Amino acid sequence: MKVHLSIIVWMVCLFAGNVTILAQSLEQQLSNQTGPDSVKVVSKRGPYTIVVSAGSGLSYYSTHLGVPASLEQTHVSRFGVPATLRAMWYPDHRLRMGLETGWTTMYSYRGLVGNETAHMYVSVVPVLLVFSMPLAWLSGTERSIARRLSITGGTGIYINHSRLDYAGTVMANTNSLGWMAAASYTYPISRRVRVAGELKWYDAVAAENAAFTAEVQFVWRPFSW
Amino acid sequence: MKSSVYILLGLLLIGFESCRKDYEAPVPYTFTNTPGSGRFVASVRQTMEGVYGVTDGVGQFGDQVALKWTYVLNGADTTHYLSIFTGVDVGYFNLEGDPKADNLVLNGYWRKLVNTSTGLVRLTVRTKHNGVLEPYTGRLATGDTLVVDGLYGENSGTPTQKLTLTYRRPLNQRPFSILAHRSGGRTSDLLPASENSLEIIKLASRLGATGIEIDVRYTKDGVPILYHDNTLNLRLIQKSGLTGPIEAYTYQQLNTLVRLVNGEKIPTLEEALETVINNTSLNFVWLDTKYIGPMDKVQAIQQKYRQKAILSRRDLRIIIGLPSTDAVASYQALADKENTPILCELDTATTLGLGARIWAPRWTLGPQTQEVLAMKAAGLTVFVWTLDEPKFIQEFVSQNNFDGILSNYSPIVAYYHYVEQ
Repeated sequence: MKVHLSIIVWMVCLFAGNVTILAQSLEQQLSNQTGPDSVKVVSKRGPYTIVVSAGSGLSYYSTHLGVPASLEQTHVSRFGVPATLRAMWYPDHRLRMGLETGWTTMYSYRGLVGNETAHMYVSVVPVLLVFSMPLAWLSGTERSIARRLSITGGTGIYINHSRLDYAGTVMANTNSLGWMAAASYTYPISRRVRVAGELKWYDAVAAENAAFTAEVQFVWRPFSW
Repeated sequence: MKSSVYILLGLLLIGFESCRKDYEAPVPYTFTNTPGSGRFVASVRQTMEGVYGVTDGVGQFGDQVALKWTYVLNGADTTHYLSIFTGVDVGYFNLEGDPKADNLVLNGYWRKLVNTSTGLVRLTVRTKHNGVLEPYTGRLATGDTLVVDGLYGENSGTPTQKLTLTYRRPLNQRPFSILAHRSGGRTSDLLPASENSLEIIKLASRLGATGIEIDVRYTKDGVPILYHDNTLNLRLIQKSGLTGPIEAYTYQQLNTLVRLVNGEKIPTLEEALETVINNTSLNFVWLDTKYIGPMDKVQAIQQKYRQKAILSRRDLRIIIGLPSTDAVASYQALADKENTPILCELDTATTLGLGARIWAPRWTLGPQTQEVLAMKAAGLTVFVWTLDEPKFIQEFVSQNNFDGILSNYSPIVAYYHYVEQ
């Protein structure tokens, strides 16, 4: 099963935009509520926060892998060590958005062609627009699990990198549309620093590369206003 | 927030609905590929070719079809196949004689290229003599009519539905080039062989083609190979991890590690032309210049195989196509242009200026009747590319201006050409 990404991308953007607009207009309505008997409601927007997270962990290539039949004594590795860098804007409502990039090993294999070794290594660099949302926001306390759990989804470009070592070395890149989905648990350490655990699915659809990652992330709030 | 809920539900619904199947159209019949033609001797094959009216099976295959025999050479062996071209959904049949049957029986499959419809077929050739169907012995008395009838099915299911074809008239004999794009057809049309492979070249005649267009690129070490796209991608090759420009890889790397979608190797230009000469009856090869750079290696190969074709007494033209100003520059940079027939896809002035013998405008420019007639009056051959729309194929064939059509759907070009009166 493959997904028509263009439809998903547009619907995600439409949904996110709609939620953002609704949140803004709700605030606007609150600030405009005046009347003879009413108390003027003045909403103070914010706080807004920029949140940067960086993480690493373990990845597992979780889709079909093609090893050429011409190779003998093949050895395949589906595991890798991913690295993620994400910058998010946390507004004063639940939906957050930002950009994510990083680097993830997809797979590698090696084998023999005659007496010569062939080695193939495939990795991706995602460049994604991501949206994130905590499961609870105003309800509960800072300690409630629902407020610490969040889901993240995104779409964008995956730069698929391949390196072949056989009869010379060839390094090549190809771009692929793709998406990601993640769930994370964030534990507060201090006012500006948190630690999160995140389970994530990367899917570079056109290149048919997909990996499941489990990461520990360092979360830092450098700016807030 | 209510509308957000609806949008979220809509998103989930569309996400679910937008999942699509991986389409497949496996050939439901395994050909025996028995050399020779069995009971279908030359006289039988000759009388069988023609336009037939369809009685049973009109809904599936239209009211008339064209029957045409083709063959594949393998050393001293010749294997004959019957193709039936229909006017509905780019449909065609591929059939072979049943060597075990006591009479003229054909087995094979049918397929529609615009979708994944396919099925098994078993037909018998008979003659209607005084209103009575009798086994055909190869002799037709005055008033006798050939009838090809039998059963067809869906996918690999046993054929159960009736199909009856009754001979109407001979095939249109006007010279016309039916040129198959990408060496025979596109991989994306789920043909039994991958585009630009040796296997699709052998199949091209059975898909109606009289000639092929092949896409030539160079490997990193300068070997001319057949490949259409700029990059290695999963539309054309099996997953192996190799990506990026095909020119980044040497022939050894590609030959060892890359397989086309249906498992074939990427062929060299020499292997392709060897196959055309040794295995097919194709009479035209259009070498489409997909590379930017020197043309001398392709020219040398073209000249080598032109000589081979002449020595093999093959009526075969091998033409270098010039689709762009870069390709024209590469051609003009050749030290010696003697014996280098070219086809130009640019404007008429450029074509005449280069001394090309063939002009091939793109079909989206329209019929260009005046230009086409002027070029033909100047002694040029005029092809049009890449025309896949059945309505326009029919129109262009019936206008009788072009000398040939390049198409991904050679079966429908064959149909409209052969049934044209």
